Amino acid sequence: MDSARLVAFAPVDNTARVHAVVRRLGDAIALGLLADGEQLPSETELAGHLGVSTVTLREALMALRQQGLIETRRGRGGGSFVRAPARPFDLDERLRPFTAEELRDLGDHYAAIAGTAARLAARRSLPGDVARLRRSLAQLTGPPDARRARLDGRLHLEIAGASQSVRLTREEIRLQADIGPLLWAVDALPAHRGRAGTEHTAIVEAIAGGEDGRARDVAESHIAHAVEHLIERRLAL
Amino acid sequence: MSSETPAAGAAAHVRATLDGVFATVARVREASARHLGAARAQGRPPVRADLTALRPLLHDHLGPLVSGLGFIAAPGLLADAAWHMEWWQTGPAGDPVRLLRDLDPESSALYDYTGWEWFAGPRDGAEKTVCGPYVDYLCSDEYVLTLAMPVRVAGEFAGVAAADVFSRTFENEVVPALREIPAPAFVVNAPGRVMASNTASWPPGTVYRGGGAGLAARPCGDLSLSLVTAG
Repeated sequence: MDSARLVAFAPVDNTARVHAVVRRLGDAIALGLLADGEQLPSETELAGHLGVSTVTLREALMALRQQGLIETRRGRGGGSFVRAPARPFDLDERLRPFTAEELRDLGDHYAAIAGTAARLAARRSLPGDVARLRRSLAQLTGPPDARRARLDGRLHLEIAGASQSVRLTREEIRLQADIGPLLWAVDALPAHRGRAGTEHTAIVEAIAGGEDGRARDVAESHIAHAVEHLIERRLAL
Repeated sequence: MSSETPAAGAAAHVRATLDGVFATVARVREASARHLGAARAQGRPPVRADLTALRPLLHDHLGPLVSGLGFIAAPGLLADAAWHMEWWQTGPAGDPVRLLRDLDPESSALYDYTGWEWFAGPRDGAEKTVCGPYVDYLCSDEYVLTLAMPVRVAGEFAGVAAADVFSRTFENEVVPALREIPAPAFVVNAPGRVMASNTASWPPGTVYRGGGAGLAARPCGDLSLSLVTAG
């Protein structure tokens, strides 16, 4: 085998995948998206959902156990169960591994997806789609806790669904898992209270009015504002 | 058929395709009502286990056309789960797979299903609801049509019997008939979403808001769909 092939076919480092799964599930638990005491799906099922091997998943679960974020019970009625974290979600800790460039790039990617989804949603929404968005918007009140993070995620997912694109919707789900926890943490900061709400209303109204250009612009700047804050905060660490 | 115009033939084919799926939904509806009614007859509220008896029927009717099938309980119907679906889908290996989701909106805001047209339509009295195509991130992660009927026990709404058909399956089924029409033609659902089309000007998923120069709509039987044709 020539050297190019040797490199191309070298085993992929499994550590990165394990870390990705730990971060994904760890964030969901820290944010309360997975509730205290909730049972995780079986290892086979969860590995299938996450698109990783059961070996990778087991390593990730072991790390989560060591962090005290899950506990595993044996025997009948056994399985892995979520344990509420002793420490709440720590935005600075979560930001530390990122460079400013990586945060900017994540934001660019998410803005491309969310902006296009909003533009297509404005063109293709029917009254039923708009009613669903308005319902989520009306429920998006109250303290910035796990409930509101869930509703925020739901609203953005509904916008993606209203674009009628399965691929954009899948990408929205994937990006929410990667960057959603960071954006929600920004939303919860006192200095940012209210802004996200205003932006959500503007996106939904642009979609309801069929203003596709405006829907895209507002959806993009909604993400850009939050990412700008994340970059500032990262650089100040 | 030969005496019909191609447009009339296409409308009839659309209707026959969906009626075939509704016949399956009707069987799920009858079986669901029977199992739920049996619990009532024993003087107790129904529980999830009463619905597992549906499984052989559901497994038998998953196939090339129907990709998902089952019963969705009205919230509060069952004594042991406020929210519940006995829902089966064709798995990656072709075998029936049960959908397992945390359906409680208290812990998972995503999955409040009462806002979806496939639930709200039957609940609000429609005998036959054709919902979609829509991006189904709740169950299948695909672009699907959901055909739904209400399940009633002793006259009371108890939930919904429904079947999913992938949008691409429906398209493959009806586009040959649409192509017989020598002019742009497409099928739209009741609110106006294009379901299948013989023209790139109106691809599936786009919205027809009525009107349009030279476009005329004809109904597809008793289903609230229309075949829109030019000329």
